[in-house]
Amino acid sequence: MAFTIEQIQIAAYLGAGLCVGIGAVTTGIGSGIIAGEGAQAIVKQPKANEQIFRTMLIGQAAAQTAGIFALVISMLLIYGRSDSIEGGWFKAAAYLAAGIAMGFGSIGPSMGAGYSGGQACKSVARMPKHGNAIMGNMLIGQALSQTSAIFALVVSFLLLYSIPEQPADISLGRLIVKTVAFLGAGLSIGLGTLGPGMGIGFVAGKANDMIGRFPDEKAKIMRTMFLGSAVSESTAIYSLVISFLLIFAL
Amino acid sequence: MDLTLAQGIVKASALLGAGLCMGMGALGPGVGEGFVAGKACEGIARSPENASLITRTMLVGQAVSESTGIYSLVIALLLIFST
Repeated sequence: MAFTIEQIQIAAYLGAGLCVGIGAVTTGIGSGIIAGEGAQAIVKQPKANEQIFRTMLIGQAAAQTAGIFALVISMLLIYGRSDSIEGGWFKAAAYLAAGIAMGFGSIGPSMGAGYSGGQACKSVARMPKHGNAIMGNMLIGQALSQTSAIFALVVSFLLLYSIPEQPADISLGRLIVKTVAFLGAGLSIGLGTLGPGMGIGFVAGKANDMIGRFPDEKAKIMRTMFLGSAVSESTAIYSLVISFLLIFAL
Repeated sequence: MDLTLAQGIVKASALLGAGLCMGMGALGPGVGEGFVAGKACEGIARSPENASLITRTMLVGQAVSESTGIYSLVIALLLIFST
């Protein structure tokens, strides 16, 4: 099949749609969880409504981060790509893979940040006096769960801008190997961030809940949260390594 | 190195398999370890005097839960480099 500019465009537009489509679903669910818990918290503790509302809005903003990353990648796929025909099938596959990586990569972190923010709202309603400590811990936990979304963002940028041009005399077998390797890299980091993102969000949510109940034990709770999140992050790092190998080592 | 079409398809499938293997393999350990750590936070908050015992249990549990992630890593590396 002759290669035309349209093949790159098809791959880029498909990637852009997948990326922001999946990203929007999950950030929507994440922010929705926070809003739901926030509303329930205000019902329980109407006197603290200002503090709960503030926690809810800040938590939702942090939960949107991965969705914004997905938006950035799809904008770059639509307006920031190079349409030179020399890129060939390499470019087309890499653009589709960039969309897959960031789209799937936003699922876990958004859900995790959503759970963390929801528990924080609940916790502020229980202990309005310790609202600031809870909100600080919520933001740290959400930041931890977004790290895996940043891994997905890095892989997407590499797929967008660091892919070598396709050699003119490449054999068909070699061409299939390279293009499928790019897709594999996108799937590896995209799906690989799902677990760690959700897991760290669960840790952060439980920590928020418990800081609200036992504020004196804050130091011990936060230490356990950091240790547990670091271990849970390790599988995202394995996925990142496999993605780098698939992009650059073949 | 030049590949025939059939060899190329085999190698390409192995690489796609490696990506899927590590991607899905990271899902379980990530969620599982996060759950362990969340429950450990809860336990330490409720009985802080047993903090070292709970942390030890958490780390052992996470290490066991990590093993399937490491299996996926090994299989992905095998698929990339020895097919």
